[in-house]
Amino acid sequence: MKSLAGRVDSLLPSLLSAFGPPGRESGVRDVLRRALRGLGKVTEDATGNLHLHRPGKGPRLLLAAPMDAAGLIVTRVDSTGLARVAVLGNRNPAELVGATFRFEDGALALLGCDRPKGTKSGAEIEADQLFLETGLGPKEAGRRLRVGSIGAIEDRPIRLGDLWCAANLDSRAGCAAVVAALRATPSPRYDLHVIFSAQSDLSARGAVTGAFGVDPEQAVVVDVAHVDPKETGGAAVGKGPCLGLKESGFLAHPEALALVKRAAAAAHVPTQWLIRESEGSDARAVRAARTGVPTALIAIPARRSGGPVSFVHARDIGQTATLVARLLTTPPKSKGGRR
Amino acid sequence: MSRAAAPTFEERFLETFSNAVGVSGGEESVRAAVVDAVKDHVDSLEVDAMGSLVARIAPTGKRRRPHVMLCAHMDEIGVMITGIESDGRLRFRKVGGIDSRILVGQVFRIGSNGLRGVSGTLPPHLITRADREKVAAVEDLYLDIGAASREEAQGRVAIGDYATFDTTYESWGDTRKGKAFDDRVGCAALASLVRQRPPVPVTAVWSVQEEVGLRGAAAAARRVAPDLAVVLEGTASGEAPGMAPEESAPLMGGGPALTVQDRSLMADARLVDLIERTARQRKIPTQWKRPGIGGTDAGRIALSGAGVPSAVISIPCRYIHAPAAYLDIRDARRMVALVWHLLDSLTKEWP
Amino acid sequence: MLPGTPGHEQAAAREIERAFSLYADRVERDRVGNLRAWIDGAGDPPRPRALLAAHMDRIGFLVKSVEPGGYLRLTELGGFDPRTLLGKEVLIHSKTPMAAVFGTRPPHLQKPGESDRVLPVEELYLDTGRPEREVRRRAPVGTPVTLRQPPVPLLGGRLAAPAMDDRAGIVVLLRTLETLSRDRPAWDVVAVATVEEEFAAICFGARTATESIDPQLGIAIDVSHGDMPGAREGDTVPLGGGPSLCVGGNIHPKVVEGLRASSRALGMTVQIEGCPMGSSTDAMDIQIAREGVPTAVIGIPCRYMHTGIETVEPRDVDACAHLLAHYLAALPVEWRATEVLK
Repeated sequence: MKSLAGRVDSLLPSLLSAFGPPGRESGVRDVLRRALRGLGKVTEDATGNLHLHRPGKGPRLLLAAPMDAAGLIVTRVDSTGLARVAVLGNRNPAELVGATFRFEDGALALLGCDRPKGTKSGAEIEADQLFLETGLGPKEAGRRLRVGSIGAIEDRPIRLGDLWCAANLDSRAGCAAVVAALRATPSPRYDLHVIFSAQSDLSARGAVTGAFGVDPEQAVVVDVAHVDPKETGGAAVGKGPCLGLKESGFLAHPEALALVKRAAAAAHVPTQWLIRESEGSDARAVRAARTGVPTALIAIPARRSGGPVSFVHARDIGQTATLVARLLTTPPKSKGGRR
Repeated sequence: MSRAAAPTFEERFLETFSNAVGVSGGEESVRAAVVDAVKDHVDSLEVDAMGSLVARIAPTGKRRRPHVMLCAHMDEIGVMITGIESDGRLRFRKVGGIDSRILVGQVFRIGSNGLRGVSGTLPPHLITRADREKVAAVEDLYLDIGAASREEAQGRVAIGDYATFDTTYESWGDTRKGKAFDDRVGCAALASLVRQRPPVPVTAVWSVQEEVGLRGAAAAARRVAPDLAVVLEGTASGEAPGMAPEESAPLMGGGPALTVQDRSLMADARLVDLIERTARQRKIPTQWKRPGIGGTDAGRIALSGAGVPSAVISIPCRYIHAPAAYLDIRDARRMVALVWHLLDSLTKEWP
Repeated sequence: MLPGTPGHEQAAAREIERAFSLYADRVERDRVGNLRAWIDGAGDPPRPRALLAAHMDRIGFLVKSVEPGGYLRLTELGGFDPRTLLGKEVLIHSKTPMAAVFGTRPPHLQKPGESDRVLPVEELYLDTGRPEREVRRRAPVGTPVTLRQPPVPLLGGRLAAPAMDDRAGIVVLLRTLETLSRDRPAWDVVAVATVEEEFAAICFGARTATESIDPQLGIAIDVSHGDMPGAREGDTVPLGGGPSLCVGGNIHPKVVEGLRASSRALGMTVQIEGCPMGSSTDAMDIQIAREGVPTAVIGIPCRYMHTGIETVEPRDVDACAHLLAHYLAALPVEWRATEVLK
């Protein structure tokens, strides 16, 4: 099967720049709705998940990809118009310093950080040290940024050689791979439910309710995972999609894993193992839904830059899309899963 | 269709509920008090498998939607007796989140009989200066009930007995003082609300074990399966000497606090917007709760089933999770009015 | 002493299934791997269901990476006491198991102060004594590893071994099934050997089994901290003192009262254990599943939990089974925890 990299490359920029911090995913929902047009019935549930159903013969398969990307929430605004914030989602505040954020009403702001005298820079940053600079006067700032205002990173993705460099690659790269795979698969061999999940960065909340609603027999989660090149035996960017063995709250189901490995072999997609100690994904929520779901996790490897931006290899996204597309046409070997 | 007048906040419920003992896992006395307060006003009343109280109130008129779940938790933080030393002293552990420093030199009420015990400690005269500056770990503390032996203590208390602060409700001006305003004020507001028939079907839940992991609400929400939920809470106000105004929010007396986001929940944006507009239309002052602080039953209810749009309305109280908290009684009245008018707004604007 | 780390319980499941099949009316495996052994009750249908849970998984590791020289780095499944791992022997569960040892530096070669520091799991490594190529072939990333320690009989009939947590509980289930197959209770009883109690913040096996079975009662059987020097009053229960019964929010008062009544009828001593923040067993997740389930915990006193030398008294194991069977046999078919007041 030819690589889906071209499809991914055209989808990714609009996905990356879409507004979609945890709990306020309307912007990325709109982009996804447009991208999914013609593929089936699209609905939105009470938590903000976007559902696509492509009815078909075969077991009920849930394909889930998170769509939110970490952002900020305003916690206080003082009389001078200075706003204090907290990170909304799973990102180290130190990495976000210097990034530009766009808020729900369109206001732009830059995230700055007070460094108290006498401390070494680069150490843990407390939320209290973060501040938002809007360039507005105190009255205007107080009016436009109120307590509870939520902002997303204003992402300006660039391509350096084969690498995509952007702030919202986690998790928009996964969405791009899934959409590309769906467009390339007219006839999946499953009763296919796709969820682009909300609030994934807040302990996988969207996946909890979305998976309950679908009640799947099998599931595959597609996400982005940051890997550390210095870790021996760890996964690396550019070496293919990662298959999750263990992460916080999740152990791969052998049958689901076997299915993904079969599809990868058939599609000639190289894979790597992923073991994460303290991070997690939608996979832990999906597999615990209802009476339990045999679930596999496919994660696109990414590398941190120390700042707002991450790096992902374009080929890894394309190969993930290829793998997912092949999965959708790979029939399950046995009914249900046994451990 | 005649519209029933808005119910008022019944302060006697707050006094009774606040004085009642109900540490997480041992809420029976509070539940009994709530049952007494509401049984003549609700259409059905059940205790679920975890001990939460579930009451259904059919609406005036024929509306079936939205089915609203209103929830307040009955449990309070406290301690549990876990051991009895040979000399009659009682060992205990925390139930819920408590600052260890408030446990020392405190009077407790233990068990269903309210036996008094004191958390003793070596007086300053007898310890080193260094030790005076240390915070005692709860494992090193003990309760003295005056027993001289294990046998004598075993005649009066048992392993597993709960103990709570020996605080009595008082009032002056608009200030009310008592223990467990988190969340007996929510329980009292809810008990007040069900005295009038609402315009939409309402299920009122007085939940258990919120303070030990939001445990009762999930099971209750699954049973109730509402269209939306509003949790009535008592929350920490922010005032302390020397704090700038924007650091002190929400303020006691500033009106009910609305949650945008806390550690358990992204409040449903549409529902929060409706609550805020309703408050403005009815000229009820409200404040924003500081984002990212704490968690409530709403976090679990929102994740129940295929998802339930949820919001939290809280009364700002000073010194919650401590022996004596303060609240402004006008905020409690405002909460009841706000929720009542919200139910009315829902008939026009939901979905 | 079977393997069976979280996520890899199949190896243990087969043996346990065989044992359960001796007494249960039917044994089935659900799709996440829980093993369920049913005793059909004697009462008229529709009969309520009691779910008994003991977890099949034992704490262990997965191979995380193979390093030059053939040394293996590990990731934990469940929480070991890292102070007790250095120098221990393990079994790597490749197709044919391989023995290995946690490598240590002898005192002669250590830097000053090195032996004062407890090494976290990330800094430990395994040595199989085999060439790197063979290790890479036989123990790839993801291979399960368990402590290798055969059971050790101690004085007084006591027994030390890894995985008493919670294989002792599995034995309680087995003995309970045996009794109930002869003296049928009114209720349907399903004994579930659950998966993944040790792994994550939620007891995954217990949660999904409860969702599927929809029981009206849940009882978890797990180990409790047995008496050890240095522990505080109330933190442990004596070995040989009989079953330990939790009280607290995770326990329904009527169920624990029923268990206490059974213990009195049997003339059996039991210990009461205060669990202010829950029991840390499968009961935590059984209780809040679905619309709520009344739960209780029966604890088997066990010293040195989460090491290779977990020590129990078989008398306590027998007493737990005795108590559980008596309680279930006496449970009226109409008993429910929910109450309709109006």
